[in-house]
Amino acid sequence: MKQRPNKNILSTYKLALIGTASLLFSLSPSGPQTSPVFAQQASTTETQARSTHPPGVLADRDLSEFNERVKDYVKLRERLADKADKPSDESKPAEIEAYQIAFAEQIKVARAGARAGDIFTSQIAKQVRQIIKDEFKGESLKELRALAQEPNPNGVALRVNAVYPDRKEIVEMPPALLLKLPALPKSLRYQLLGRHMLLMDREARLIIDYLPNVLP
Amino acid sequence: MQRANITVVVLLSILAIIQSAYSQGADNQETLRITLPNKKDSVHFAVIGDTGSGTDAQRQLAAILERSRSLFPFDFVLLLGDNLYGSEDAKDYTNKFEVPYKALLDANVKFYAALGNHDRPTQRYYKLFNMDGKEYYSFKRNNVRFFALNSNYMDKTQLKWLEDELANSGSDWKICFFHHPLYSSGKQHGSNEGLQKVLEPLFVKHSVTIVFAGHEHFYERIKPQKGVYHFISGAGGKLRPGDVRATKLTEKAYDQDLNFMLVEVVGEELHFQAISRTGMTIDAGVISRPSR
Repeated sequence: MKQRPNKNILSTYKLALIGTASLLFSLSPSGPQTSPVFAQQASTTETQARSTHPPGVLADRDLSEFNERVKDYVKLRERLADKADKPSDESKPAEIEAYQIAFAEQIKVARAGARAGDIFTSQIAKQVRQIIKDEFKGESLKELRALAQEPNPNGVALRVNAVYPDRKEIVEMPPALLLKLPALPKSLRYQLLGRHMLLMDREARLIIDYLPNVLP
Repeated sequence: MQRANITVVVLLSILAIIQSAYSQGADNQETLRITLPNKKDSVHFAVIGDTGSGTDAQRQLAAILERSRSLFPFDFVLLLGDNLYGSEDAKDYTNKFEVPYKALLDANVKFYAALGNHDRPTQRYYKLFNMDGKEYYSFKRNNVRFFALNSNYMDKTQLKWLEDELANSGSDWKICFFHHPLYSSGKQHGSNEGLQKVLEPLFVKHSVTIVFAGHEHFYERIKPQKGVYHFISGAGGKLRPGDVRATKLTEKAYDQDLNFMLVEVVGEELHFQAISRTGMTIDAGVISRPSR
């Protein structure tokens, strides 16, 4: 009957192998390099770190990148708002309307080359879809779909720098979703439309980015 | 003798017809009666929602609102959102708000607006909505603090603001008003469970007694929910007849004509009256402030 190797001996062999490999690599003339074993270990560690993040919860790095892009947009709009004669709380309707039109135009010109994905990173897009999938199932998903259809998406151009039409209502964002999404500055808002999620400049009523087909 | 009897009968009949015509009004209006105490130093206000249609019906209701003010002088009006439907050019502010409510505006009645799903956020800059440039805000009258919320976008920032404001308010009465009702028996929209989950705990924790909301185009008084009294007053300019049928939530519901509310806070009591476009009282009552 064949005997199985002792478990302790096997563990010792593994340790010896790791120790030898690390010695060899530390002596390597081309400088410290990540050994395949170490790389594999590092990669495993990173993967473990990522997988310990619950699905739908954003990793710090991904959130930070999204927030930086949002901040850049806000800085741009603040520069433009200063030039656009922002209304006060005593403004007349004609002044409010003129401001909105002028401000939207300025943003469109300043962001003439902007495309979808300039603000919503691919990681954010993935997480938003996961959040919706986790938060809305069955009846609640059905209600969310119905809500997103309320403004009748026909007639809204799904493109960056499109103006959200005047006569289209803006549906409320479900608080359960808002509380999970990255917080936005007051000048911006998320907006559901059909199966898509828009990122909108509130005052200019402009689509500044969008995620297509986030609703399953 | 017989002739005299006939004359008397005819005269009495004529008198009856005249009296009937007077009480009904020339166009089938009820005689407007105020059921509120109408005390001198109490807080008097009106509540109206979903007004901004610019229609004749809106103007007719506004006329009754103005008439009611001659009997019950209120100082301000809560607008529950959808203040302007459709476009929001300068002429829309005129036709859908300034013209219908001209008499009240000329009498320096203040309108405090909340934003509805048909409203642009830039309405907050409009002087006559008294929003102080904010999408959500609060103000006080005597022992009552009012909190206007933006229920279109109930994010963490707004919730934090609300919690801080409620916690720091020393007022006896806390009244919240916004567009989307937490509870509703309407077929078109119904109750908003998402908003219930985030707002109701705050209302209960901080002793909010009354909530006014619009969005549904009818009137409904909801049975108290966890000690909070909810009213829907969303037929100020648009009506959805037949949209509400009484459910276990309903204390009173009405969807046959446009309507508004008059409210008076006297000490520990809040008196309310809902009035239709023909001047008919569709609901009235009193709520005692619960001690918590």
